[in-house]
Amino acid sequence: MNCELAHERIVLAAYGELPDEQAHELDRHLAACNDCSQEREQLQALKTLAMANPVTELDPNFVARSRMRLEEALDAIPPKRWYERVGQRMLNNFASLQAAPVAAVLLLIVGGGAGTLGGYEYAAARAAHAAGRAAVAQAKVDAAAQEHSGPAEIANISSIEREPNSEIVHVTFNQLVPQHIQGSLDDPGIRQLLLLASANAASPVVRDDSVGLLAAECRAGHGCQGEGIRDALMVALRYDKSVTVRQKALEGLQPYVAEDMRVRDAVLEALLSDSDARIRTAAITILEPVEADTSVRQVLSTVANSDHNPHIRTVSRQVLSRAPEIQ
Amino acid sequence: MDGPDRAQERLQARAPEMELIREAQAGSRAAFDALVRQYEQQVLRLALHLTGSEHDAEDIYQEAFLKAFRYIGNFRFECSFYTWIYRIVTNLCLDQLRRKKTRREDQAVVVDQSGDEIDVLSSVSDNRSFSNPGKELDRKVLGERIQAALSKLTPRERMVFELKHYQGLRLRTIGEMLNTTEETAKNTLFRATKKLRTQLAGLR
Repeated sequence: MNCELAHERIVLAAYGELPDEQAHELDRHLAACNDCSQEREQLQALKTLAMANPVTELDPNFVARSRMRLEEALDAIPPKRWYERVGQRMLNNFASLQAAPVAAVLLLIVGGGAGTLGGYEYAAARAAHAAGRAAVAQAKVDAAAQEHSGPAEIANISSIEREPNSEIVHVTFNQLVPQHIQGSLDDPGIRQLLLLASANAASPVVRDDSVGLLAAECRAGHGCQGEGIRDALMVALRYDKSVTVRQKALEGLQPYVAEDMRVRDAVLEALLSDSDARIRTAAITILEPVEADTSVRQVLSTVANSDHNPHIRTVSRQVLSRAPEIQ
Repeated sequence: MDGPDRAQERLQARAPEMELIREAQAGSRAAFDALVRQYEQQVLRLALHLTGSEHDAEDIYQEAFLKAFRYIGNFRFECSFYTWIYRIVTNLCLDQLRRKKTRREDQAVVVDQSGDEIDVLSSVSDNRSFSNPGKELDRKVLGERIQAALSKLTPRERMVFELKHYQGLRLRTIGEMLNTTEETAKNTLFRATKKLRTQLAGLR
């Protein structure tokens, strides 16, 4: 280790941000290098000195005064009308599609198209209905189709099926008329539909299917590097009401628990607060490779002490006892 | 410091907090007030320590929560609410520090008879230490010297040092709050400590 690097690490070590193995390396360097150990002393002196400007406790009067002023200002804001709130909610739903640039472009195209062709579409749908034709349209997903059948037109997703032993899935969803498309799991159009289904589908079965497929893609390492799928799985793990959906999302996140801190946080959260014991147990197993992380250990020891399920307490205690002690 | 204890509290607090956020998004003032109460102490403490002025801290607090109230509908649970609210507060604090720095520099630099610029503030603080050569600097004067040294940092360096040294946050969290990477936060902290040591060299 050269001295420049050591100086940087001295600062990190002083603030508890240096990984253990690097701290050990630094200690060895400091034992041998006089300049650097002086550097450390000087930094410690600075830390002590800086405490002469401490963060003081707040004066309760000051807090109360600030709060009163804020409350007055908040009272002066007129409450939002119902249509403003609805508008906001719609905006949020659309904004969640921004994760996929394709979807954002589609939104623009569809928005423009809907404005000019709205009347025509409506009439066509009526005609189709009156003719009593089957309302299911088959469409192969290709580049051309993507331009016209974006997620913005999709009302909901009613089923997802995977052909046995192949990459092909069938997704049935409702547009102005219900549609059905098929394509490879790697297809961006299909993925977009799966993402939508994972968050929005009313039926737990559909959510289960889509989260299951996305999770399997992640585990198989099929282009799950993008943030979109991982985010969708984290959202499913945190908020989905169905236990099986959460379970599948957790499995899909497993490969990323070591590299992605956000994934690790989501799994820790599941371990602490998921209502289902199976999820909490699975979370412990998944966290094993990163058990040396201090926040993981902390959560594990909380669970070991306070989880109301005795099996989970035992398992987390076992995991903790296997992990090497941290200084 | 940002020990695992605090991280764990945050994790546990998140579940009911989510409900509060949803209700606040649906327009509930009571839910928003509850969120304010959860964060107001931290926000005030940060703003007060950074600006050194109750008046400025109160303004930042007020503006931050009004902004949060106005834009809470845009919060989409992509980060924790804690990070979101801190992002608003740190941005306002940075603006305030920048304004203060410009004002200070405008006032502090005067031109002496020979036409050279002299920095009034630095000569004041120097005089102060020279006027008590034998005595140990008492804590108040020391505190002022630290504040003077801190005010010489760039607003971003000042912010990272504040969040790390005084508020005890993790560098990763600081990076998220300041919309940058952990690596950049680390380098900024490193620069800040270096500058501070130079500034305070005479005091050790």
